[in-house]
Parts: sequence; structure tokens; C-alpha cells
Amino acid sequence: MSAVRPVRTGEQVATPEPLITIKSAAKVYGNNRGLSPLNLAIHAGERVALVGPSGSGKTTLLRLLAGALVPDEGPNSVSINGKSPANLKPGRELASLVGIVSQRFDLVPHLPVMHNVLAGRLGHWSLARSILSLVWPMERRAAQQALARVGIADKINERPGRLSGGEQQRVAIARMMMQSPLVVLADEPVASLDPARAEEGMALLVGLVHSDLGHANGDGRSSERALIASLHTASLIRRHFTRVVGLRDSRVHFDLPAGELDDAVLDELYDLGDGYGDVEPLAGLAARDG
Amino acid sequence: MERTGIQQSRPTGGQRARFNVLRWSVYAAALLVVIAWAFILLDGNSGFGDLFRERTWQNAGGFIASLAGQGSDGPSPFVQAARWRDTGRLALNTLAMSILAMGIAGAGALVLLMPGARNVSDGTLGGAPSRTGALVYGAVRILYTLTRAIPELVWAMLIVFFLSPGIIPGALALGIHNLGIVGRLTSEVVENLDPAPARALRAAGASSPKVLLYGVFPQALPMFLTFLMYRWEVVIRTTVVVGFLNAGGLGREFRLRMSWFHYEDVALLLVWYLLLVIAVDILSAQLRRRVRWD
Repeated sequence: MSAVRPVRTGEQVATPEPLITIKSAAKVYGNNRGLSPLNLAIHAGERVALVGPSGSGKTTLLRLLAGALVPDEGPNSVSINGKSPANLKPGRELASLVGIVSQRFDLVPHLPVMHNVLAGRLGHWSLARSILSLVWPMERRAAQQALARVGIADKINERPGRLSGGEQQRVAIARMMMQSPLVVLADEPVASLDPARAEEGMALLVGLVHSDLGHANGDGRSSERALIASLHTASLIRRHFTRVVGLRDSRVHFDLPAGELDDAVLDELYDLGDGYGDVEPLAGLAARDG
Repeated sequence: MERTGIQQSRPTGGQRARFNVLRWSVYAAALLVVIAWAFILLDGNSGFGDLFRERTWQNAGGFIASLAGQGSDGPSPFVQAARWRDTGRLALNTLAMSILAMGIAGAGALVLLMPGARNVSDGTLGGAPSRTGALVYGAVRILYTLTRAIPELVWAMLIVFFLSPGIIPGALALGIHNLGIVGRLTSEVVENLDPAPARALRAAGASSPKVLLYGVFPQALPMFLTFLMYRWEVVIRTTVVVGFLNAGGLGREFRLRMSWFHYEDVALLLVWYLLLVIAVDILSAQLRRRVRWD
């Protein structure tokens, strides 16, 4: 079981150029290795699940893709649609290239839901428009539609601090709809939700890249988009993703079509290696992350 | 006694050392009380003895009686509508002075609360650290300290020097002093904010001013308004003191009536003053409840 599985690529979409190319990107924090030199190509239309024990490099990989971290080899070892996220300044270009939903959703607690949703447009708006929108909300209708799509249209004037975890996630997804990036990243987006909310939340996240309905402007780019999310639940991965990449010790451990993911593969990935192998690994990890 | 105290409180273990500090603090406090009283009682000039002289109490009684109208000639100001109206206008002036003061302090603090916060100037909440940011941060902090360190009464004395008497110099003095207090408190609120929402906005493509506008400002605003309301309660009391310096309102009239021995008028002014303080306390509490979001 401890042998490294041969790396296999997931379903390939018939696009010649991959949307995302990671070429021997690595990140070292002091003495800790955040990510070993790693190669990965992801095509438009793919929905990739990242799995792996805590500390395996999932978050580092997502932050490299979001442009929040610069790879040790320089910004050019990560490329999305021909651009390097770490080279782009905050603004329209970066915002329409890549967006990230974090585990804690990171809404502004005192700002009404409407403005938290509209904040997804900040990269597209001028400063004057952003200021004006706090007084007279711009694109109010788009925000209403986004909230209606995630099923919480009635919460538009609430403050996020009063919402449940599931509702906060919906606000974060509505914000992502307004931002409408080519690549949606999600760092353990359902770790803090109960199984039913996790299922709904995952369906909404997939909707961001999988259907035109998921987007504020319905620009018909759905086939050009991709989703990359870290999570631990095999059933969610099989239902919602096309491909699964297992990370361990900051390296790619396996790379499979999501349909081929079974518990034995995950057991081996999460195996603690000293007699803990019999413990149901997913239940334990999910409970701790919640 | 002192020496054994030090020896005993030498930390041998966490629990025991803490216990000894507490015990010796009580001993030291008791000793201080004894020394302080000995000092007061042995010093003939302390004026403490006056408290027990019959003369003092007679004077106090006489003063209270004259506040109540004893020995004054003519009708009491309490029964004259015109006197109520005139002093009421002064009370309104005082209220206006306090509101103007809070306006000055609030507007200033609102502008400075972000450049005065370290996590804004060093780029933690948005943007990159810059030399300009660090310089502005230092300048704002010095301004806060300077305006806060000089009491409102001293500010009023300085300002009355070059502004004609009235409620403006009083409001200016109170506003400047409170700018330092409210500004510093609010900047510290910003420094304690969770940076995660601001980072999320940055990831959504927002530039630094937009991050501050959407991620920082809305979070700091409720606390800012709360501080402002608290200070308003303090300011409405201090307006009278500042008014002594020809700065208008109830305070100026209070001083004049005292020096003319019009004790009944003084009593009337005190009634207005009390009404004003109670009204502002209630209003401030209501407003503070309103802004307490979440």
C-alpha cells in the first residue's frame, strides 16, 4: 500500500492548451516545505479536487494560483490563461482571472450582505464608483439575482455576523458570482458545514464554473472556466468533480479521474503509517476540520 | 518589615509568589493610609481642621439658603418666565457648543483614523508598506498625543486669546482635545481588526483605498460612533468649565452671577445644567444602542 501510485491524468477535455500550467513551482517557508517542485496542467472545464492530509501543501498550492504567494522559482512558473497571477496588480485583470473562496468565507461582518456581494465587483469598478456604491448601490439588481440564485434573496439587508455558516458561504459564493473569474479556487469550502449544507454548498460552487446560470452576466464562458477545491469527502468528490489530485508531503501522490476515487485510495493517502490505518480517516479529518 | 517582604515575595513558584504580592500590597496600603493621615493631622496648614469648625458649616448653610432665595430682594428668578427663557437660551448655546465640539473632534478623527492605524500604514490591511505611510502615521500619532495631552481648559485659554469670545472658541478647545482622545481610541480599534475580510477583498481585485473603504471602515464605524457619544457626555459637563473663560453658554453666566452674588440665578443655571446633562446622557445612551450592530 505504501508504494506511490503511478500518476495518471484525469479526463482530458479536447483543448490543446491547458488553462492552468504549473511548472516545477515550489514554496519553502524557512525550514518548512510548503510545496515541493510540482507540475500540473488543468484544462478549461475541469473541476479538480485537491485531497491530502493537513500540511500536504493544498493551501500553498491554492495561494500560489491566486497570486497571493510568489513561487520560489519566480512568478512565471504559474500560468493561468497565459498570465502569471503573482505578476498582476489587484484590479480588473486579476479579478477576472482568478478568485478564491476561503474556509471562513471572510465576509466583512458589519457591512450589509448586499455590499458584501457587490464587493465582488470592486476589481472591476473605479474608486469613485466604489465609493458611490456604498451610498447608492450600483448593480443592485445583479446582486439581488446572485443572492436569489444561492437561495438567500431575503437576507440582502442582513449583516453577515447574524447569518449561519451555510448562509455566509452562500454570500461568499454570490460575491464570487459577481467577480466572475475564469478560475475559481476554494480552500476547504465545506469543512465547517454539516453534510446537507456541504452538499448544497458544493453544488453551488460547481455551478460557478459549470453553468452559465451561475454567473451574474451569463457571458457564456462556462466551458472556459475551471474549479479547484480542497476537501476531504470522497462522496462529494465523486459527485461534483471530474478529477482528483492527492497531495502528500507536498508532492502529487496520485492524479485520477474523480470517478476512480475509492476509499482504499484515500485510506492510503491519509495513512498515518503507525497503526492508525484502520481508523476511518475521513470521518476523523472532517470532524477535526469542522 | 520591608526587607522581609521582599524576601518572602521572591518567586519560588507561580502560585505562592502571587499570593505574597497580594498580601504585602495590603500591608503597604495600610501603612500608606497611616502615613497619609499622620501627614494631614500634623500639618497645621492643611485646612483639614476647618471641616470641623462650626463657622464652616454656618457658611455652607448660608450659601445653600441664598441659593434657595433667602435674603434676596425682588421676585425669585424661578417664578419669572423671562429668566427661564434667557437662561434656557444659554443652555441651548451650551448644547450647541458641545455638538459643535463633537463635530470638530468627529470630523478630524474620521479623516485620521486610518492613517493613524499601524496596520493600515504598514500595509497589513491593504497595499504595500511605504515611507509616506510611515511618516503620516508618525505625524498623526504625535498630533493625537499633543491634542490629548493639553487639557481643554488650556486650549480654551489659548484660543480665547485670538478669537472673540463666544461658543466658537469653547467648541474649538473641546473639539481639539477630544480629537486626540476619539482619534486614538478609533485608530486602536482599526489596529485590532481581523485582517481576513480585508485580504479577501484584495483577492477579489480591490485596490488599497477600496479595501479600506469596504473592509476596514464599516467595521470601525460603530465603535467610532460609540466613542464619540461617550465623549459627548463628558464634553457637555466640561462646557461649563470652558465657559468660565468668556467662552459663552451657561459657564460664563455662572461665573458672572457668582461674582455678582446673584445666588438664586446661580441656582437656576444649575437646574438647567442638570437638565442638560441628564438629557445628553439619555440621548447618548439611545444613540449608542442604535449603532451597536451585531
